[in-house]
Amino acid sequence: MRDVYILGVGTTACGKFPDKGAHILGREAAWAAIKDAGIHPRKIEIAFCGHVYQGMGVGQRTLKEIGLVGQPTVNVEGACGSGTLSFWEAWRSIAYGQYDVALALGVENLSRILSGGPLPLEEDDIEVFMGMGMPSLYAMRAKRYMEEYGVTAEQLAKVVVKSRKHAALNPIAQFRKETTVEGVLNSPMIADPLTRDQCCPVGDASAAAVLCSGELVDKLATNKKPIKVLGCVAQSGKYSSPTKLTCDPSENVSRTSGMAYEMAGLGPEDMDVAEIHDAFSIAEMIVCEALGFCEKGAGVRLIEEERTSLGGDIVVNPSGGLLSRGHPVGATGLLQTAEIVWHLRGEAGKRQVEGAKVGIIETMGGAQPAMDGVTCVVSILGV
Amino acid sequence: MSEKEKTTDQTELLYGTNLFSMTPHPHLIAGRCKACGKYTFPKYYACPFCFSDNLEDAPLSPKGVLHSFTIVRRSMPGYQVPYALGLVNFPEEVRVMAQIETPNPDKLKLDMEMEVTTGLIRKNSDGKSVISYKFRPASK
Repeated sequence: MRDVYILGVGTTACGKFPDKGAHILGREAAWAAIKDAGIHPRKIEIAFCGHVYQGMGVGQRTLKEIGLVGQPTVNVEGACGSGTLSFWEAWRSIAYGQYDVALALGVENLSRILSGGPLPLEEDDIEVFMGMGMPSLYAMRAKRYMEEYGVTAEQLAKVVVKSRKHAALNPIAQFRKETTVEGVLNSPMIADPLTRDQCCPVGDASAAAVLCSGELVDKLATNKKPIKVLGCVAQSGKYSSPTKLTCDPSENVSRTSGMAYEMAGLGPEDMDVAEIHDAFSIAEMIVCEALGFCEKGAGVRLIEEERTSLGGDIVVNPSGGLLSRGHPVGATGLLQTAEIVWHLRGEAGKRQVEGAKVGIIETMGGAQPAMDGVTCVVSILGV
Repeated sequence: MSEKEKTTDQTELLYGTNLFSMTPHPHLIAGRCKACGKYTFPKYYACPFCFSDNLEDAPLSPKGVLHSFTIVRRSMPGYQVPYALGLVNFPEEVRVMAQIETPNPDKLKLDMEMEVTTGLIRKNSDGKSVISYKFRPASK
């Protein structure tokens, strides 16, 4: 397996842009990533485009706007993990020797199809037909978690308070206003115990990364410090019987991150900064546990002790995460990736995690009856 | 979805008629692998534990235990909010999600005993009521 580096990243802002189609958002992010990489666009040999709701040929429609035509372009769908699945495809196309330079793109315009409320899901899934949305699924996880570990509504709300505090320092975040525990708990109830502010918003954005092989990195990395991909793993959820499932979706995340740590030759204690899939307040706690940042059931203590806040020993979601930076589904994984790249380069501005050398990205897509998520992708980046 | 619906009269549709039965008592119908004996809900095409394709319909116990639940206050078109949605663990080691029929959602508690019933899931765009399996707190 060959070494792979990230040469450049680019993103749009996150927000509601109903007048900007996916191809308009996507061309801006892809072009920014190519400029950031400092390479001629024609060096790109293959492109991947993660999305969920953007229709036929979205990658090709987008990339033709910047002249990137002719090369293989593959559209990638893995629910909310589509962006990092696109990154994983780009990484492996280089790691296993087929190409030297690849573009990973993620795009989503959700506000065109949804004014608010839960994400439309697949009705062929019985649980969706029975009335499950992503908020209600996470609400049931939260309910069980709170009961098993004695976690309070106020403690759940603190995840959002931290998230907004970080996002206030992030110029591309969708929600940049700080909030309080009372503010979070007083927002309308969506599915008990989750209030609106504990659910990620509907939003639009695009993000992209340019990757290249270790053989070419010295030649191509003329603009910015290249960031090494130390580990990159994608895994689907497994069928789980209730005796194994407890109150959380962590099996998929533990398994995927375990493989990524092994590939990188590192452990959770080596991570300086993390961008994780906090689609709902409860998710941050259970994902931190699954990534090995703390013991099972201790996710709440990370929040209480502010260990995951800026200035803490393992900063989680300095961008504001899905809750505040936003969750334009197909773009999310590459927004997370761009954030970690900026921290490792020392370009993250006021929210910079000082001296960050290694960062981890976790994205979780969807949910299936009796399974964990549809797709989990974990990458570990380093300088 | 449409092929699973069976017209009973002008105004009601039944969903998932292969997934539950009301006789001799209300219960769900799972899949059981004849090779390894494990259950899944619903029945799959091949067993996710041993890959045998020798699967049969098998009734689940009439009662299970409430693993978790929520009161849904914002949902998809056609679903009348608020409604309770729960996950119930059955002795056959399957967990099933369905709406919960109860006049007192405040009295729902984790780990309480639940039983199977039927009721309204949602209204279709043509105004027809879709009926299927639901849970309710078990009668003593």
